[in-house]
Amino acid sequence: MTADPLATFTALNPFAEVWCVDFEFHAPPGERPEPLCMVARELRSGRTLRLWVDELRALAGPPIPLGPQSLIVTYYGSAELGCHLALGWSMPARMLDLFAEFSCLTSGLITPCGRGLLGALTYHGLPALDAAEKVSMRALAMRGGPFTAGERADLLDYCEEDVAALGRLLPVMLATIDLPRALLRGRYMAAVARIESTGVPIDMETFNALKLNWNTIRDQLVVAVDGDYGVYVQNARGYSFSSQRFADWLTRTNIPWPRLPSGALALDDNTFRMMAKTYPAVSTLRELRHTLSGMRLNDLAVGSDGRNRCLLSAFRSKTGRNQPSNSRFIFGPSTWLRGLIRPAAGRAVAYLDWCQQEFGIAAALSGDANMLAAYASGDPYLAFAKQAGAVPADATKETHKAERDRFKVCALAVLFGMGEQSLGQSLGLSPAHARELLRLHRQTYPTFWRWSAAAVDHAMLRGWLHTVFGWRVNVGQQANPRSLANFPMQANGAEMLRLACCLATERGIAVCAPVHDALLIEAAYEAIDTVVIECEAAMREASAVVLNGFELRTDAKVVRYPERYVDGRGEEMWNKVTGLLAELADGSAGEVSDDAIDA
Amino acid sequence: MDANKVSPATPDDDGRPDDDRAPATAAEAAKPAVEPLDPFDPARLRLSQNYAATLGVKKLILTVPVRKPSKEWWVQTHSDPTYRIETTVLELKEDREIYLVAPELRHALTSESTFGLRALYTAISSHGVLFLWPIRLPGIDGKLDSWNESALEVAQRATSRWLRICANISLGAYDVSESTALPQPIWPDVAFRDLLATAFKGRRIDTLDHPVLRRLRGEA
Repeated sequence: MTADPLATFTALNPFAEVWCVDFEFHAPPGERPEPLCMVARELRSGRTLRLWVDELRALAGPPIPLGPQSLIVTYYGSAELGCHLALGWSMPARMLDLFAEFSCLTSGLITPCGRGLLGALTYHGLPALDAAEKVSMRALAMRGGPFTAGERADLLDYCEEDVAALGRLLPVMLATIDLPRALLRGRYMAAVARIESTGVPIDMETFNALKLNWNTIRDQLVVAVDGDYGVYVQNARGYSFSSQRFADWLTRTNIPWPRLPSGALALDDNTFRMMAKTYPAVSTLRELRHTLSGMRLNDLAVGSDGRNRCLLSAFRSKTGRNQPSNSRFIFGPSTWLRGLIRPAAGRAVAYLDWCQQEFGIAAALSGDANMLAAYASGDPYLAFAKQAGAVPADATKETHKAERDRFKVCALAVLFGMGEQSLGQSLGLSPAHARELLRLHRQTYPTFWRWSAAAVDHAMLRGWLHTVFGWRVNVGQQANPRSLANFPMQANGAEMLRLACCLATERGIAVCAPVHDALLIEAAYEAIDTVVIECEAAMREASAVVLNGFELRTDAKVVRYPERYVDGRGEEMWNKVTGLLAELADGSAGEVSDDAIDA
Repeated sequence: MDANKVSPATPDDDGRPDDDRAPATAAEAAKPAVEPLDPFDPARLRLSQNYAATLGVKKLILTVPVRKPSKEWWVQTHSDPTYRIETTVLELKEDREIYLVAPELRHALTSESTFGLRALYTAISSHGVLFLWPIRLPGIDGKLDSWNESALEVAQRATSRWLRICANISLGAYDVSESTALPQPIWPDVAFRDLLATAFKGRRIDTLDHPVLRRLRGEA
């Protein structure tokens, strides 16, 4: 009998069995995964199962124990758990996802070979799989059936190689894994599988019409939107964004715009996004620019059942947030496109988000009494202005809108580590005014500032920061104190969202998508109000766990069939696009042009 | 074993926490009721976000100015009487420097015009600047000018409120304003003895041969 390879790892003693599991599956864009085969190996006994899908479907249940006595080990396991759902199996009670743990271990660091299984093996100096073979086997799985007997054997062998690789990786990684919290991350992978399976309902009629007429609409959209701006010029290649004309528009509208060290206007999307928050007039132009430069309508992953599904890419960002593909996910940067979200007949969706999540997290984790009081007031930004003595105690959002807006931008800017120059540019104020605002923040919330400084000190002295559930960021050679100061808000916000996803999906709520600080859920038309209440309770519970008892408020926006979801930031653009579609349907639209557009 | 001859796991392996399952071993039976690896009880898994508590980082005070507050400063003085002292100093107005004079030299310096008695109050500005506020005390004739009289009164009153002083030449004293909008200051945890040592680092006269005294005597 072979020795137990895990005998020295006492952390695994509570588990009677430790199974490394991998599935091969077929999943065209927008579709749920269809399992092809499964290989599972119990590490202590060496017992190995190799099962093709027809054998899996013939079973009355999962072939491996999924209760709390078994540890299921995967690498980016939401795909495996998607196969569980396809097979009607339950989720494992204890799951350890080595992708999540490798991402946590190396967050903030450069991993020379990426964060895939090959990258993790290479990082740990373990023999890796043949990358070329991996690509060809993936292609075979994605091709779909029917498969010859030889292809089946090849896929099973390939699947078993991944399982063997997991078996090599686990003992090496165990020393760095904080198992209790790693299992919480594994729990989230089950929520991700459920969410990816649910997907977002799409208005297929409008989507298909858009795809069909996109080349025509694209040119006309420039004309329709640019009428308000006059920043595009037509040339032989189509329409181009003119920075000179944009500068003229900024002068006409009296909007101060950030510049690069060279003196040129900063024209990146982050700057547009930041400025659109302060100057709503910028919002539609930003939508147009992104639509013309980055959006590929055909990439939006919509399945045959009319639902948008894509890999949520859990734990991909430094803060542990999901990072799904901008072009495949309906909640990408083109916010107008979200108008395609529409529940089917008899159904409803609801968008629930935490109110002022980052401010609330900063208040609760720092324990700043003034900040907590500001959040409790219901309008923390107006409360900040009152606490700083900038507005009278009886000021309201209506009577002191300008002051409130200024203090709101300042409060958010501080959480992002913004300095006086950037804050001044955002608000169109002189650096002296911005400095005074920041001084008022420091003076009003001194406990927060000390806590935030301690977080940066911790990062610089120890080389890492962690969240309440142990997601960490490592401080590399290019340490950025501003992003380190922002990490506790962002990364604990991500923890909150993950926990809310777990609670909601485990309680049977159909979560269509997690979106930064929000959840899109779906229910029957008549049940949606009840489900919203249940989901809000789950979100409050998640906030209380992360913030040690402090609950964040939530907002809900319900959309019932035949209404559609519209994001306010993209509403004007959506109306222009659908207006053009309607004109096309009437035959009143202009000439079609396939010319390229340079945004 | 034949990998393809498999049966489903037992019915109670349904993916849910199962407290009723019979323990496989004696060790398992002795397991505590609260399972340490239960990801469904995340409140137990919470780690502290109080970074300062584990870090041992504290702000060091390496500079303590000895000065009168600026006219734009809001200041408070320390309410603890042990954070003030009446002592003798030597003040060089041109150099804007104040020297602490050792007690044993006092008699020898009584005729020195730059030498005098001062109250040193520990004070803090609303921006968090910690400083020692020197206020002249009556000399051997027992007289005190109206400026320092009003300054002493302000320093006494500022132990529990934010005050600002501004010279009023016509009045011959300071105009005083009070702010009730500012939060209470956070005093650093430093002993007064250490504050004094920092404030007068390199500016302590403990010998008659001190270069400053030699310069004043025209011996430099």
